[in-house]
Amino acid sequence: MSSWINLYNISYAIGEFLMGIVAAILNFFGQWIGPLSDFADWLMSVNVLNLVAIFIGGAAVMVFVSIINLFIIMWIERKMYGRIHDRRGIMLPGPWKKTHKGTGFLQNLADGMKLIQKELITPKNADKWMYDIAPAIIATTSILAFVAIPFSETFYVANINAGLIFILAILAIAPLAVVLAGWSSNNKFTLIGGLRGAALMLSYEIPLILSVIGVILLSGSLNPIEIVHAQQQTSVLGVENWYIIPLFPAVIVFMVALFAELERLPFDLPEAEAELVEGWLTEYSGMRFGLVFVSKWVRTYAGAALITILFLGGWSGPVLPGELWFIIKSYIVFVIIVWATWSFPRSRIDQIVRIGWNWLIPIAIISIVIAAAFKWVGWF
Amino acid sequence: MLLEDYLPVLVFAIICIIFPPVTYFLNRLFRPTKKTPLKDSTYECGEVPIGTAHIQFTFQYYMYAILFVAFDVVVVFLVLWALVFDSSMSYVALASVALFVLLVGTAVGVSLKKEKEVLI
Repeated sequence: MSSWINLYNISYAIGEFLMGIVAAILNFFGQWIGPLSDFADWLMSVNVLNLVAIFIGGAAVMVFVSIINLFIIMWIERKMYGRIHDRRGIMLPGPWKKTHKGTGFLQNLADGMKLIQKELITPKNADKWMYDIAPAIIATTSILAFVAIPFSETFYVANINAGLIFILAILAIAPLAVVLAGWSSNNKFTLIGGLRGAALMLSYEIPLILSVIGVILLSGSLNPIEIVHAQQQTSVLGVENWYIIPLFPAVIVFMVALFAELERLPFDLPEAEAELVEGWLTEYSGMRFGLVFVSKWVRTYAGAALITILFLGGWSGPVLPGELWFIIKSYIVFVIIVWATWSFPRSRIDQIVRIGWNWLIPIAIISIVIAAAFKWVGWF
Repeated sequence: MLLEDYLPVLVFAIICIIFPPVTYFLNRLFRPTKKTPLKDSTYECGEVPIGTAHIQFTFQYYMYAILFVAFDVVVVFLVLWALVFDSSMSYVALASVALFVLLVGTAVGVSLKKEKEVLI
């Protein structure tokens, strides 16, 4: 189904309109001051308008990802794990009923307001520069991943050839920030948590990329848009060949590796509350903590979006427009992630490392062999 | 061509990079700053911390970091191989990639066997 929104064209139109107003004002003053008219002409040139359009499109995606979408997924997670714990979850600050039947949708907004008002405490012994920059690195890289994630055929910020590699590379910067945060806080809890986090993320980086190789092999491309196009062709089974069918082991490996990358519950040893207070986040307070806390959900959504693009056919689907299909699918994946997160107990560090190296990597390699066999036979 | 493709990435990266400093700055308008010596000390569940955490210690995950470096090279080669894979590929190419993965896999397996249990 065709898509609704051509992000670039819309933001180009908005940018042209806004710059038109600015240029008109400048031209008005240009009657008396000559150079202002030249400046107005330069503002209306194609290159500048192009840059403005990209800026507006990028800002739109950022607002969607880091505000609207974030509130929805945080609400889904908190409500859902409340239900899994057999309680009602957040309910009071909702827009409608303020009873136990309320939705509590505005709880996250309230939490955000609370974190903004909290004091930022920097420990005396901490390495201040590194301590400040670690949450910034995590927040920046988490949102930056969305530059290459297309929401539909025409709704994207950048259409780059090596998009998949770009996303994985950007998401792989986080372990550096985790070690930085753990070391610079000068606290024993954060140090152990940071090193654990780095070891975990490093161990599970390999299965994550290995499970993606099957997709690259079948589609023959690193561009997310072309990967979805490859999935829209009809396979031998008579349906669209979404890669979840031939690469089912790879989906499982990708999911499990994603949990470790996101430090979600079966693998949340870096912040094991029972032993390490809050792991590598122990010393962080106020908005520094808020940024990291929020980035966790941004990264989770990035993971869900990646699974949707790589294995579930992206925005392809009947009747509804592409963007809506993409969001529906990624939310379903997100709900599965939340469901799994709050259903499993935490595992021990040696178990986790053993799962990563002894199980996930062989399974991922087997899935590559399966993919190669399918492509060799000519089925996909 | 390359610049056209990556210009949006650059613009978006600039937006993303200025986002945390702007948040910190806006935060400054809302939050109090009252420093006390106790508040600024390292948090250790109420105990007075003994020494710093910037010490030399046994890094038990060292082996995994080394293995990661070794295996990441395999992954990079596999990505490139997968990108150009099609059914007209010769058996020599297939066999050499299989041999390469098998060799590194065996090496990693052996070194994991030798590795002691991780405790922290």
